Amino acid sequence: MELRVTESSDDELSIEIGGEDHTFMNVLKGALLEHDDVSAATYDMNPEQSGGQTEPILTIKTEGGVDPLDALEEAAVNVREKTTAFREAFEAAA
Amino acid sequence: MTEEYDVEFVEREDRKARFLVRGVTPAFANGIRRAMIADVPTMAIDTVRFVENSSVMFDEQLALRLGLVPLTTPPEGEFTEDDTVTLSIDVEGPATAYSGDLVSSDDLVQPADENVPIIELKDDQRLEAEADAVLNRGKDHAKHQGGVAVGYRHLQRVEVGDDVPEFEEQERRIVRGVIEEDGELVPTSEFDHDLTNRYPGKEVRVEDVPNAFVFHVETDGSFTVDELVTRAVDSIEARAIELEEAVQL
Repeated sequence: MELRVTESSDDELSIEIGGEDHTFMNVLKGALLEHDDVSAATYDMNPEQSGGQTEPILTIKTEGGVDPLDALEEAAVNVREKTTAFREAFEAAA
Repeated sequence: MTEEYDVEFVEREDRKARFLVRGVTPAFANGIRRAMIADVPTMAIDTVRFVENSSVMFDEQLALRLGLVPLTTPPEGEFTEDDTVTLSIDVEGPATAYSGDLVSSDDLVQPADENVPIIELKDDQRLEAEADAVLNRGKDHAKHQGGVAVGYRHLQRVEVGDDVPEFEEQERRIVRGVIEEDGELVPTSEFDHDLTNRYPGKEVRVEDVPNAFVFHVETDGSFTVDELVTRAVDSIEARAIELEEAVQL
């Protein structure tokens, strides 16, 4: 996973997340949208054959003076907690 | 933020299962589904060296067929992406070469099924080859896809209402998946997927239960359903941890 910030300001961040596809990006976007201080989160991905930017670019907009990078980190933690909780619930049922 | 998930099995076999997950967001459910299909590595034959092939098929046709034979995948951590396992096959006609004729050099990597036909050999035809199996993901080639027929549906809640007007002909009401009836899970196959069989002469209302998904998972025999699901979750977790660490720098 290679990160490259393409645009950045106090409340907005665009970051390229190399090597990922919808599988992870959509989960991450979902986690970001659950975050209280995130007002908008989206990602853009182009098909392989388009010849342009094919790596996903994640854009986050925050409110209340929260650093978007912190929000991203918290979302990553949130995804990790979700996977742990899911595994535990699955193993408990299995 | 602590997540509360609840998993309940509806159907359970080694290679095929149906289970309900409550409290899961659509985004997360889809992430797991996609990870099961494309991101869980399995073993499959990738390179074949032919010693003799006097069959009616070209070497590369047979190589493709050998590649598509599902192989059992060793436990996590036993193999890395660069390791190879050699399998050999030697069949002389008249006979049919089956996946069961493959002889593996590693007990952990064996054909998952013995009865996949590779080619029918006539008199004086012979197939002798050596093949290398590698670990890779479904994203790179469908032969590495451990999960086949992986999907999910909303759990559906059925509410029984009034009687249907006496002289009205009742229309069929088809639902597929699993329904919830007073907290009890009923696969729709039990009543031929037709709600009028279960509730004759009654009005019924069907609605999706929010954030409750019934997963249907089938594997190609590379590993059990449990293994596939946990490995898919692991792969998402690994990426979340990687991102977390990358952002902290």
